[in-house]
Amino acid sequence: MLKPSTLAMILAGGRVDELGVLTHYRPKSAVPFGGFARVIDFPLTNLMLSGIELIAILSQYRSYSLINHIGTGAAWDMIGRYRGISILPPFKDYESPHWYRGSADAVYQNLDFVRYHDPEEILVLSGDHVYSMDYRKMIRYHNEQNADLTAAFLEVAPEEASRFGVAEIADDFPEGGRLISYEEKPERPRGRWASLTVLCFRPAVLYEMLRLNQESDSYEFGRDIIPMMMERRLNVHGYKFHGYWGYTRTVDEYWQTSMDLLGPDPKIDMEKWGLRTNLEHRNIRDCQPMKIGGHGVLDNSMVYNGCIVDGTVRNSILFPGVRVERGAEVVDSILFFNNHVREDARLCRVVSDVNTDFGRNCRVGVPGVDTPGNVTVIGWNNRVPDSMVIGSGCTVYPRLAADRWPENHMVDQEVLK
Amino acid sequence: MRPGTDALVLLLAGGIGSRLNILVGHRAKPAVPFGGIYRIIDFSLSNVMNSGLTRVGVLTQYKPLSLMRHIGTGEAWDFTGRTRGVKILPPRTGEKDSDWYQGTADAIRQNIDFIQSNPSEQVLILSGDHIYQMDFAAMLEYHRHKEADITIGMMVVPKSEIHQFGAGIVDTENRIIDWEEKPRVPRTNLASMGIYVFDTDYLLRTLGRDKREIDFGMHIVPRAIGSDRVFAYPFYGYWRDVGTIQSYWETNMDLIPEDSGISPEEWGIRPNPEAEGRPMDRAPARFISGCQVRSSMISAGSVIEGTVINSVLSPGVLVKKGAVVRDSVIFEDSVIGEGAVVDLAICDKRVQVGARAIVGHGEDRDRPNSRYPKHLYTGITLIGKEAVLPEKIRIGRNCIVRPNCRPEDFAGLAALASGESILEE
Repeated sequence: MLKPSTLAMILAGGRVDELGVLTHYRPKSAVPFGGFARVIDFPLTNLMLSGIELIAILSQYRSYSLINHIGTGAAWDMIGRYRGISILPPFKDYESPHWYRGSADAVYQNLDFVRYHDPEEILVLSGDHVYSMDYRKMIRYHNEQNADLTAAFLEVAPEEASRFGVAEIADDFPEGGRLISYEEKPERPRGRWASLTVLCFRPAVLYEMLRLNQESDSYEFGRDIIPMMMERRLNVHGYKFHGYWGYTRTVDEYWQTSMDLLGPDPKIDMEKWGLRTNLEHRNIRDCQPMKIGGHGVLDNSMVYNGCIVDGTVRNSILFPGVRVERGAEVVDSILFFNNHVREDARLCRVVSDVNTDFGRNCRVGVPGVDTPGNVTVIGWNNRVPDSMVIGSGCTVYPRLAADRWPENHMVDQEVLK
Repeated sequence: MRPGTDALVLLLAGGIGSRLNILVGHRAKPAVPFGGIYRIIDFSLSNVMNSGLTRVGVLTQYKPLSLMRHIGTGEAWDFTGRTRGVKILPPRTGEKDSDWYQGTADAIRQNIDFIQSNPSEQVLILSGDHIYQMDFAAMLEYHRHKEADITIGMMVVPKSEIHQFGAGIVDTENRIIDWEEKPRVPRTNLASMGIYVFDTDYLLRTLGRDKREIDFGMHIVPRAIGSDRVFAYPFYGYWRDVGTIQSYWETNMDLIPEDSGISPEEWGIRPNPEAEGRPMDRAPARFISGCQVRSSMISAGSVIEGTVINSVLSPGVLVKKGAVVRDSVIFEDSVIGEGAVVDLAICDKRVQVGARAIVGHGEDRDRPNSRYPKHLYTGITLIGKEAVLPEKIRIGRNCIVRPNCRPEDFAGLAALASGESILEE
């Protein structure tokens, strides 16, 4: 296989409102995850391990962090004569004056790039899921069925199904079967298989569908392209995936998926999954091993190089460069790069973006409140004043000036802009 | 490499370092892992990089493969580019000379062609087996300011240790006026760190003089102080020669306290994450419920279920339930089995300690190793690379277990007494 036959296109452009301050300065695919990596590392690692070496990343929103993260692509072995990762930003020309108006439009606007590579299969992926999957098996199935589209699905409980694109899949083969029905976010779902936005297309069909879709005013794969192909009775197959699938679209989902990293036999075992990230990004390669002092306690937690812990850390994830001073306590929390938790500060159910400093004796989040919607999120580059009390489910915007902070406390669910 | 005027660096990385015993059984001393994710030579290479020097020759001789793989293209230390580079300089046969490197000066002499083809005003000669941080740009500036022929990095050490070093006696201007190589009776406490700046022309003239002068400390420097300008460059920071098991272990332990004076990350020391096996492609370390960890340095990829106290762990170390690791240095991907104890030991890569085994058993720490009494005499036990220790075995103090040792090599022994070894046949 000198020239890759499969072209993978990762939809990495969007931001989601539900992730709030975590996506003020980065697309959701570049959100830090797993104590050292980014969400997009999961599909990139899957591609690397599947031997798919030609990749385009469609990126629109605040793409600097993402571009920086991808670097040369060497972290995923994607450099070489025929290997590579191309980042495709939106552009203007005579025909198209638009931003990407949706995932399908983003691919349509880059059809020149796609055609130039003349792939035998086009794999469309989303950049914001946490999973481990060998795409080769799905592509083999796609080719065996001579399908126009093969989409991967995961079985979900009926009450959850209406959040997704939902399908009924015929029991034709162990791996999957023809799609009997497909509905996008239906109120009363007929099927129980939720779309994972892992789509394998026959190129000629995809080109045609994207062209037809341009007449429409909605340009999404799930909402528009798949239903269109079903309507036209094209050969659409569902491929059944049985592994772990983690979402990171809302703060609660992000928090829950992160907690799946912990425990003696974690659902997300990054070591086993062979996860690769770009160690040059933020130069995490230069961090020394984590240090724990004479008073440190670590319990059911994950800590990367560069951290210094002399306080207590339970059920938490610390990214490189986090410091937890003596007497401080971090529980059920996720602290991104270079957070500093000073003496006697207490954090519970907190997601804190990079470079935030928690002053002495502050209280952030409320112990015992573990219902959804109660994670407190702190935007980056903040200095939480000493002795400040912040309730559960609060949001603090990035880079707040010192005089924006309230006198001494924020009530539950308060948003500080 | 470009014709430049900045100093050319020659790094002596060829020594056997035999006092490190089985840690150098298959690698050169500069390639010995240190501080979890580093190799000893990372300190010298990073100091060179951080001093803004860009042209380096690494003189290798003894078991160079591990070292060569580690240095790779030099990209980790920013030595790649049109005008930058790191070159490996192994001994070679030529028209006349076909000898191994006989000593420090001889090694440099055999690479005169390298010095000539990389024009420079000064040559900085370093050794690749010390743990320190130093700004060579300042030392070069000092050398030029003193209009010296030779400048030697020197530091104050306890008089009891001076016998291991070249010792210099200086005047008020720091000019070296007398020199003793490894003196038995010390007259000074100023020790050479094996760091030399030479004016390039002076070096070439000196090396061309007499081929029997094979060592800087023994021959070149003593002869130079009579007639030439030889200065001491005083160094006051943390510096350790990690050439013995004892100092190697102590220096690792120095990493642990917050204020020990040694901090590789703050010093700007760079490991090579791209080295063979990509040692840094690891998820964060995981600390399982019920583990106890205190006063330690732990690298990514490790999984701690048991207890770790006062130890340094390289990437991917697994400490299973009920196991205790204390006062030890554990290299990459070693596994400490359930209920096992590792106390005051150095385990090389991929060692497997069987369940409920004890490494470092008993209180007789002062019974030296019978084969290598000068290597192991303070209680430290060495376990060689990829050794597999059987379940429940008790290994004493100052023991050596050879690399690749299998459980059957213990021939049913329940214990290895302190000072005993399992060595190559």
